[in-house]
Amino acid sequence: MAEVKLTKLNKSYDGGKTFVLKNIDLLIKDGEFTAFVGPSGCGKSTLLRMICGLEEISSGDLELEGTRVNDMPPNERRVGMVFQSYALYPHMTVRENMAFGLKLAKMSKDEINQRVEEAARSLQLTHLLDRKPKAMSGGQRQRVAIGRSIVQEPRLFLFDEPLSNLDVALRVQMRQELARLHNRLQTTSIYVTHDQVEAMTLADRIVVLSPLAEGAETNLEQVGAPLELYHNPCNLFVASFIGSPKMNFFSASLLETGEEQSRVKLDCGTELTVFNNTSSAKVGDKVTLGIRPQDVLNHEEECGAGNCITGTIETIERLGNESFIYLKHPDIQEAFIVRVEDSRRREPESAFRVGVPAENCHLFNEAGQAYPRTRSPRFD
Amino acid sequence: MAMVQPRNLKYRVWAARLCMILLLCLVMFPFLMIVSVSFRSGNFATGSLIPENPSLEHWALVLGIPWEAADGTIMQPTFPVLTWLWNSIKVSLITSALILALSTTGAYAFARLRFRFKDHLLTMMMILQMFPAVLALVAFHAFFNKLGNFIPWLGLNTHAALIVSYLGGITMNIWLIKGYFQSIDNALEESAAIDGATPWQAFRYILLPLSVPILAVVFILAFITTIGEYPIASVLLQGADQLTLAVGAKQFLYAQNYLWGDFAAAAVLTGLPITIIFLVAQRYLVSGLTAGGVKG
Repeated sequence: MAEVKLTKLNKSYDGGKTFVLKNIDLLIKDGEFTAFVGPSGCGKSTLLRMICGLEEISSGDLELEGTRVNDMPPNERRVGMVFQSYALYPHMTVRENMAFGLKLAKMSKDEINQRVEEAARSLQLTHLLDRKPKAMSGGQRQRVAIGRSIVQEPRLFLFDEPLSNLDVALRVQMRQELARLHNRLQTTSIYVTHDQVEAMTLADRIVVLSPLAEGAETNLEQVGAPLELYHNPCNLFVASFIGSPKMNFFSASLLETGEEQSRVKLDCGTELTVFNNTSSAKVGDKVTLGIRPQDVLNHEEECGAGNCITGTIETIERLGNESFIYLKHPDIQEAFIVRVEDSRRREPESAFRVGVPAENCHLFNEAGQAYPRTRSPRFD
Repeated sequence: MAMVQPRNLKYRVWAARLCMILLLCLVMFPFLMIVSVSFRSGNFATGSLIPENPSLEHWALVLGIPWEAADGTIMQPTFPVLTWLWNSIKVSLITSALILALSTTGAYAFARLRFRFKDHLLTMMMILQMFPAVLALVAFHAFFNKLGNFIPWLGLNTHAALIVSYLGGITMNIWLIKGYFQSIDNALEESAAIDGATPWQAFRYILLPLSVPILAVVFILAFITTIGEYPIASVLLQGADQLTLAVGAKQFLYAQNYLWGDFAAAAVLTGLPITIIFLVAQRYLVSGLTAGGVKG
């Protein structure tokens, strides 16, 4: 088990001309389950490969258990890694696959056997020990890959999109197994995924990375607990990345600023009250108003203070327990998505007036930074 | 195949078979000729395919056994053919093993490591290889002649010199193996590194076992090329005891007398080790070794 500390970590190509990762500062505590999320091309896998030593660190420090390991080759770092492609040794049986690292460490035969069988038992692989990888299903192979790193008792577990090659049902099941495994072993783990559901369900803390923009200081957007990122995203990028379906964004301008609450005017003319601290802004500043599909109220009667937005229903996705209504609204390019429980009375092409509770709104300035929310969101 | 086929397919199949049989004849005929000549009494290159007076005289002489002809004269074997055969096998086996060792490590560097001028080096080696080694015969002779003054066992007329001269031609093998290495997912070696393997261990325990088919191919190719090689061996080797079979067999054909029968027997003998090597190596020419390792 180990603490991982990243200080001003950079990864660049072409001798420092093209950056993939810039100024990554991060402290992963002992025993913590951290997820790196971000769209493809944000460098999350690269960051993981830098931590295990498969990718060189251009500058900055990487510390494992307090020791700088920048120049330590991967075989000496004592970390375990589960690859997206499983990367099992095809010419070895499951047993040999799992014992490979232990044999290299010159461990005694008895101890190797004991460790392999124990890991196999906990992953329900005992009956597969003498099979070769090609005779197994995707889920089984993935479990072997996990078992192979467990037997080493590494200081740190690294997962590089381990579930992305599995089908949906298996993915949910493996997600549970991974959560159980972490609860049992309590080993520091880093999990890379582009699937925010995996990150939200598994991780103690989430690190959101973005593709490095031109001239940006860093591409580390926000670090925090899953619900903290969900409720208090610090900028537009995190707000739009976390949560499914995506948060709706309206362009607006400030009518009144305040420490407790503010008033904004959407470009279409609708005026809304929001509970955000805009004391740093001026009246008339351009802002972006964000509201999650789940935070919108279905019935206009419930809208406090007349906080309502009207749109025309385009399509309705009925999922059974809930429905997503896609509204046309002049201020939104794509669609204004609203989640409702009961959509029976709704018809396409009809107008729909939804409530936008002031405490559920997010507000961002022109640079995309969030104005702090002043009231906790309204829960049912 | 469940696909619907046109009716005339049957005739096409027969036409294909006919072509194949013709091709087979083309390949087999010279070989059968040689076998036939080696069992024919007297030294005649022409004659019927099945010898009219089959005789083992050439085989006996080639194998070093004196032969008593029908008229009572006893023919002594003229050349140490079995020694030549042993020389050939020894040189070919050592050369092939060394070629394998050099080309796998070379190919690993080109396939996996990053270094400057890699691409240029690869192309350059390819271009240099286009210059036939035969045309460098003089250079080889002069080189080993000189070298022999300082390192006697690497001088002219030694097998070591011959082996070293053969090791120059490994570019093709490097290309072959490099291509195969590149088809194996790098994640396997990365995974081995995470498991605690040094680069050498990852190469030895992961990459090499997965590359056995191409290694077998390279070994066979190297063996066949070496055992049949004539020009370089004929220049570097001089003593009758040092010759390889390919060079030695030529001794049966001197200007005054072409001993076709003895030559044919020696030729068949050369084919023997190749056949054995091929039969042994065939076991390793399997596909699908890497199946199941990584999700494609």
